[in-house]
Amino acid sequence: MKRRGLYVVYPLIIFILVILLFPFFVMVSTAFKPISEVYANPPHWIPRELYLKNFSDIWYKYPLGSYFKNSFIISIGTTLLNMVICIPAAYAVARLRFRAKSFLMYLFLVVQMFSPIIVVISLFKIIALLGLLDTLMSLVLTNSVFTLTFAIWLLSGYFRNIPKEIEEAALIDGCSRIQSIIRILLPVAMPGVVTTIIYTFISAWNEFMFALTFITSMDKRPLTLGLYNFIGRWTVQWQYLMAAAILALIPVVILFMFIERELVQGLAGGAVKG
Amino acid sequence: MTLKRRPRLVKGKFWRTESAVAYLFMIPASVFLLVFMFYPIVYVILMSFFRVNKLGDLVSFFGWGNFRFMFDKPEFWQIILRSCLWTAIAVVVKTALGLVIALLLNVEFTGKKLARTLVIIPWASSVPISAMIWQWTYNSDFGLLNHTLRTLGIWKNPPIWLAEPRSAFMANLWVDIWCGIPFMALVFLAGLQAIPQELYEAAEVDGATSWNKFRYITLPLLSGVLTVATLLSTLWTFNDFNVIYVLTAGGPGTSTDILITYIYKYAFQYLRFGPAAAMAVITFGILLLVSIIYARSYFREGVL
Repeated sequence: MKRRGLYVVYPLIIFILVILLFPFFVMVSTAFKPISEVYANPPHWIPRELYLKNFSDIWYKYPLGSYFKNSFIISIGTTLLNMVICIPAAYAVARLRFRAKSFLMYLFLVVQMFSPIIVVISLFKIIALLGLLDTLMSLVLTNSVFTLTFAIWLLSGYFRNIPKEIEEAALIDGCSRIQSIIRILLPVAMPGVVTTIIYTFISAWNEFMFALTFITSMDKRPLTLGLYNFIGRWTVQWQYLMAAAILALIPVVILFMFIERELVQGLAGGAVKG
Repeated sequence: MTLKRRPRLVKGKFWRTESAVAYLFMIPASVFLLVFMFYPIVYVILMSFFRVNKLGDLVSFFGWGNFRFMFDKPEFWQIILRSCLWTAIAVVVKTALGLVIALLLNVEFTGKKLARTLVIIPWASSVPISAMIWQWTYNSDFGLLNHTLRTLGIWKNPPIWLAEPRSAFMANLWVDIWCGIPFMALVFLAGLQAIPQELYEAAEVDGATSWNKFRYITLPLLSGVLTVATLLSTLWTFNDFNVIYVLTAGGPGTSTDILITYIYKYAFQYLRFGPAAAMAVITFGILLLVSIIYARSYFREGVL
């Protein structure tokens, strides 16, 4: 009976995967075509030959290096800022008793769902007031705000799962609270910290709307905005866009695979805890 | 912060200082959220009741003027309707397909791990970049989608996807669905794996059919996950800016705009901040409502 089931499962899974992965197939196929073949009608599924020049062309025909650099600076800046803010907050939520706790956790969960669009109009004013328009700093700040609450949420979940007794012993042995966090809790909670770091990094890396709103100079564009600007002027050089997209996607897709389970668990809460 | 140099702790005092430390630790996060989240929300609410100039400064009190301006526009109501339609269709399709994929991935077969990893990729990928790839895929002359549909004989005359209102809406909708399927599949899979196997074995002993097992064991035990996941998906779908902005920017005209992209267009294309703020306030109300329902069901599943 089991065996008969597989005759249904395999074709269905393959069918679904073909549909889900089709655009990535298009991306790879286009990235290895010369322009003459990109604009062939009817189009070819598979490139006639493996044309690698797109991957070298993009680096000097577009400021791709600076896009990558900006995305790195923004993502790393966001991650650092987030960690400084989130670790104490998550610690407080996970370990300490205080009156406003359940209210704050509730608030964080609700805030996490707000669309940045609601506030972008007034954030624009604030960023302008701070003199941060067209700076990478503006994106570090705004990306932090919108990853903050979920990061605290994720991290406090990890802290809560670590037995309190370890730190209490250290406190009694004369460690200060800060020392007990840095020397004892964080090393034990490392997987959770890494998950949170990856989550923040990816979110900042993929962010598009704030960049579109706050950044005007070419040399300050992050990858998402930079690639978006491949489209729209004159004819689109799709083979370049697709080659650049491959390079931009590889790091995030790989990083994402490390944290998808934790994300699912963090987002769906007790519902999926077996 | 050097609380406990002393080995012995007086209990009453300990709890008092503990909450002081807690508030101290919450200060950075709170200040940050106050400045960059709550203040902007308050400011948007203010803006919605004022005449606002092209720089976003408040000029004079306008009462419900901005709201009335939007309500008088038939286009606005079309966009509200479209946003509802967009969210409803996308969430239903994501849930259905996600459930099917989860059920498939819950069966033991060789290559299951690989299949699971591949299913995740659309979610792992950056949404704006995925939308750019789709834009090329949809290209009517050189894109591979229409070519494939024609060659395989599935659709002899596929539309010029992004050029006409109706097909452009469908094209946007599909990309949003495509991005959202993996999350649904993974949550449902996690939910399925949490169901005790003994239940199925007991049902088998009693001679239950596969459908009966699904109907009377799987679905009821999955209902918690279903609720949380569909609420999340509703919020995400309703908020989806990237797909529409990249694929069609709401075009042709405003025929594929939903509330979220329409607000952005009003603010940063037309520079009409007042009406944009009014719509943002309406959106805020909707999101607040759904988020509270989500938070409630999240806590009902008992995480804290």
